[in-house]
Amino acid sequence: MSKETHVLDLLPAYALGSLDSDEARRVEEHLSSCLVCRNESNAFQTAVDQLSFAAPDAVPSSDLRDRLMQRVQASRPQPRAPVQVPARSWLERLLPVWSLASLLLVVVLAGSNLFLWQRFNDLEVATSPGGMRAVPLIAQDPTSRATGYVLISADGDSGALVVDGLPPLGENQQYQLWLIRDGQRTSGAVFSTDERSYGGTRIRAPRSLTDYSSVGITIEPTGGSPQPTGPRVLGGALFNP
Amino acid sequence: MKSHTDYAKYDDEELIGLITQLREEALAQLYDRYSRLVFSLAFAIVSDRATAEEITLDVFMRVWQKAASYRSDQAKVSTWLTHIARHHAIDVLRRRAVRLDQFAVNWDDPLPNHESPELDPQGFAELSQQRERVQAALAQLPADQRQALVLAYFNGYTQREIADVLKQPLGTIKTRLRLAMQKLRDFLHDEQDAEKKSVKAQSAYNIKEEE
Repeated sequence: MSKETHVLDLLPAYALGSLDSDEARRVEEHLSSCLVCRNESNAFQTAVDQLSFAAPDAVPSSDLRDRLMQRVQASRPQPRAPVQVPARSWLERLLPVWSLASLLLVVVLAGSNLFLWQRFNDLEVATSPGGMRAVPLIAQDPTSRATGYVLISADGDSGALVVDGLPPLGENQQYQLWLIRDGQRTSGAVFSTDERSYGGTRIRAPRSLTDYSSVGITIEPTGGSPQPTGPRVLGGALFNP
Repeated sequence: MKSHTDYAKYDDEELIGLITQLREEALAQLYDRYSRLVFSLAFAIVSDRATAEEITLDVFMRVWQKAASYRSDQAKVSTWLTHIARHHAIDVLRRRAVRLDQFAVNWDDPLPNHESPELDPQGFAELSQQRERVQAALAQLPADQRQALVLAYFNGYTQREIADVLKQPLGTIKTRLRLAMQKLRDFLHDEQDAEKKSVKAQSAYNIKEEE
């Protein structure tokens, strides 16, 4: 990027959100390809973030905390009666838990209907007509009832994980999903399961999920580890790049 | 339900993790840590207690519902909260369609010294230190630069709007904002570095403890 096109003069106002929209767009376009300006921008943004501390001290009403907790209570879904049909209950409980997983499932189901679920039973990667993929996960321990799926969007940029049969861990441990490529393991998610041993989370990866060959889930200290340290409980093959 | 004090041992990111598991006590602890910061910011922007309290509730409800979208590699939890609060409060201000041609906050007044029970005394002490530091940085700026900066940050004005309000040429306002931001950044830079090192050291310590 040539020096003439740098946007250094605009960065202070950009960090404050005070540019007109066309100027802001110009800065955003430039930042997407210029490390120098991006570093500068981050430094200004850090300074702007500090300005929240310049607000004169003010104290909310003492009942505000109770009002918050009441809203939280009101936002919780009402407990459901247990559902007897396993496949149905799996979906029913999954849907409210996690919006992306539910969206993906709805799209996949709408697109491929029974086709997908028949393929699930065969433990193969299922592909919907729209290009979305569902990869089954298999327990390492044959006596385990743990199972799960990795759902991957058609472009490979978005992914979701849902698991069943992984018992909730203590406060000091969580499950961690690893994305494996050329023997290198990258963390894709750190998550917990509920008292019914269900869990779901979005997968976040530095590159497209289609670039990874397989996934594994291990038990790690709360917050996750830089590299796997605990036992592997689930795994599956994604792609062969 | 665990007693409230049990959750005081968790750091901010751990609380967010617990909130993703729908632990209400974790949200209550985060509220105790940051409600005052969030409310102060919202109040400074909208100048109205009831609205500022609604914004504060919205911020923490959003944390409750969207905790999984928090990215620790992009911002500290407190920064995430104040981002949400500022944008929400400025949205409210814009929706009112009446933009006051004055500061939401009178920066010449001494800060009020509230006599109220502290929900999180240690957190409040840290918050007070941060406040002193940033207010000292602002106090160093020439009044016209500080004025432009405050209108941009707390009123959400664009440079063009600031120029209109202050009846100054746009180029003058651009220069004032640029100089103000450069000074602010320089003033806060060293202490930011020190803080980051301290946070990293603390994280390393915590990981070691868990092992």
